[in-house]
Amino acid sequence: MIESQCRPQFNGLELLEDAQLNKRILSTGCERIDLLLQGGLRVGHVTELAGPSSSGKTQVCLKVASHVARKYSGTVMYFDSGNSFSPKRIVQFLTQESDPANTEVDEIVQRVMSSIVCYSIFDIFTLLDMLHQLMNNLKSEIGCNVRMLIIDSLSSLIAPVLGGGGAHGHALMVTAGFLLKELAHEHNLSIVVTNHMVAGEAGSSKPALGDSWKSIPHVRLLLHRYRATNDSCISILKHPYLATGKTMEFMIT
Amino acid sequence: MTSAISWIKVDETAKAALARILTERPSVVLPPPLHRLALRVGNVVEIVGPSPSAKTLILIQTSINCILPKEWKGVQYGGLERPVLFVDLDCRFDVLSLSHALERRITGAYRVRSGVKGNENEYDKELFVACMSRFLYTRCYNTFEFLATLRTLPYRLQKEKEKQGSAVYMLMIDSIGAFYWMDRALPSSSTGSNNRKSLSLQTVAESIVQEIQRLLLVHPMLVLAAKSAAFGDKQSTTHVIRNSGKRFDDKVLDSGGPQKPSYRDYMPSIWQSFVSHRILLRASDGESKHQTHPSFMTEWLLPPLKFSDKFIVNDDGLLVTL
Repeated sequence: MIESQCRPQFNGLELLEDAQLNKRILSTGCERIDLLLQGGLRVGHVTELAGPSSSGKTQVCLKVASHVARKYSGTVMYFDSGNSFSPKRIVQFLTQESDPANTEVDEIVQRVMSSIVCYSIFDIFTLLDMLHQLMNNLKSEIGCNVRMLIIDSLSSLIAPVLGGGGAHGHALMVTAGFLLKELAHEHNLSIVVTNHMVAGEAGSSKPALGDSWKSIPHVRLLLHRYRATNDSCISILKHPYLATGKTMEFMIT
Repeated sequence: MTSAISWIKVDETAKAALARILTERPSVVLPPPLHRLALRVGNVVEIVGPSPSAKTLILIQTSINCILPKEWKGVQYGGLERPVLFVDLDCRFDVLSLSHALERRITGAYRVRSGVKGNENEYDKELFVACMSRFLYTRCYNTFEFLATLRTLPYRLQKEKEKQGSAVYMLMIDSIGAFYWMDRALPSSSTGSNNRKSLSLQTVAESIVQEIQRLLLVHPMLVLAAKSAAFGDKQSTTHVIRNSGKRFDDKVLDSGGPQKPSYRDYMPSIWQSFVSHRILLRASDGESKHQTHPSFMTEWLLPPLKFSDKFIVNDDGLLVTL
């Protein structure tokens, strides 16, 4: 009876077994990013993509969504807060990846488009509602086998409630963060969230959402786009076992 | 009558008691950067630092030191061979970082002893399995789960002790302040005629401290808690200028010089007074030769020591003091 009342206790071997069986690595669709992350996005991790505006965060999210929906079975849930989800762009990614002469392209497009579920969310309370609903669905194993959840952009949902003297904004942010972590780990999802940048000290910029957010994502990545060449650069801000500061240049066509 | 006399009679002399305590509950010197003080069972050590500052890495390295045996098949590992319980409140623990670090440690020690790269894999597996089964892990996603876990820990630890044969030596809590914001926003209802205590940050902290104290009575352990810190306030951070290139060479801290941002503790006072040792970690900058590796400096706040150690995280993920 005690076992059912609280979280279970594992030993190191059981954790390792769970990591090897359930916590696979999902490729992002972009070879260079996969190279940087030693395989791609890990199931069970909450990955944050931070970057200034128009640095390519949404493009990376769309690319990842199309690739994961295509390559792995299961649904991809896309929570869009800025009306930036573009089905046309997804179809473009899919047709790029497959052979032009391939007649199955239409079928692939059909299959992938029906596996990506997009919701428009404009405030934090709807987000918390949706996350709770998703958690309940997954717990009772109704319907969809969700593989990935993308929230673009999480910071535009949270930033309006932060600040002001009260603790409620931070409490909402931390609650959302822990919900995401629980979803990722207990239900074997990979979660990607995006964040914008704000001015930091001495003229540099830093990811938004402050210090309390820093301890929530497992992996924090920084995107940067070079104006001249239109290349993008992604670097690791924080990772459980990869070194911080590693960078990689990539391009999303 | 006999019972009253036997009650007053001496159980053991102080010398015998000291000998018994020193063998059953030895004081350990932990791996750097916690190596300045010998810590004993019953101590509560708080490792404070901003994010990121290698706190979880320190907990992992200390766990490895604890779960490795002192000696296995002729190779010295210098461990304690006792189980470790890791309570993950941050929910960010990745078992692969632990397993990789343990593997590197085992193969490193074997290589040192044999001098050649023999077939270490066989030694790895058995020892690796034995060590990993001494690492106990549980995670909690909110304060209620944490309190429930603490409540049931005495029972679970007893079962583990019977199963493994040795009692858990260390309790690691990753990020004791993880639920701080959620607890602060708990509705503290002053109305209500029911007997339940109104929930608030203070009562939650009191319960946590009470449960841990109760636990330590029955299962004496060394408690290591990581905590993410808040430094100074917004005005002072822009004025913090590091002209300390010369200062850090001699590893002695100035008492309260203007170059240190002040550290603010946000945990309730009952937790602060429960902590018996506190060490502060900070990212240090200015050393150009170590730019490729992030470097950190430590400062013991409680008891306040004048020494400050510097360490880096090298490629293998090990902490190397400079």
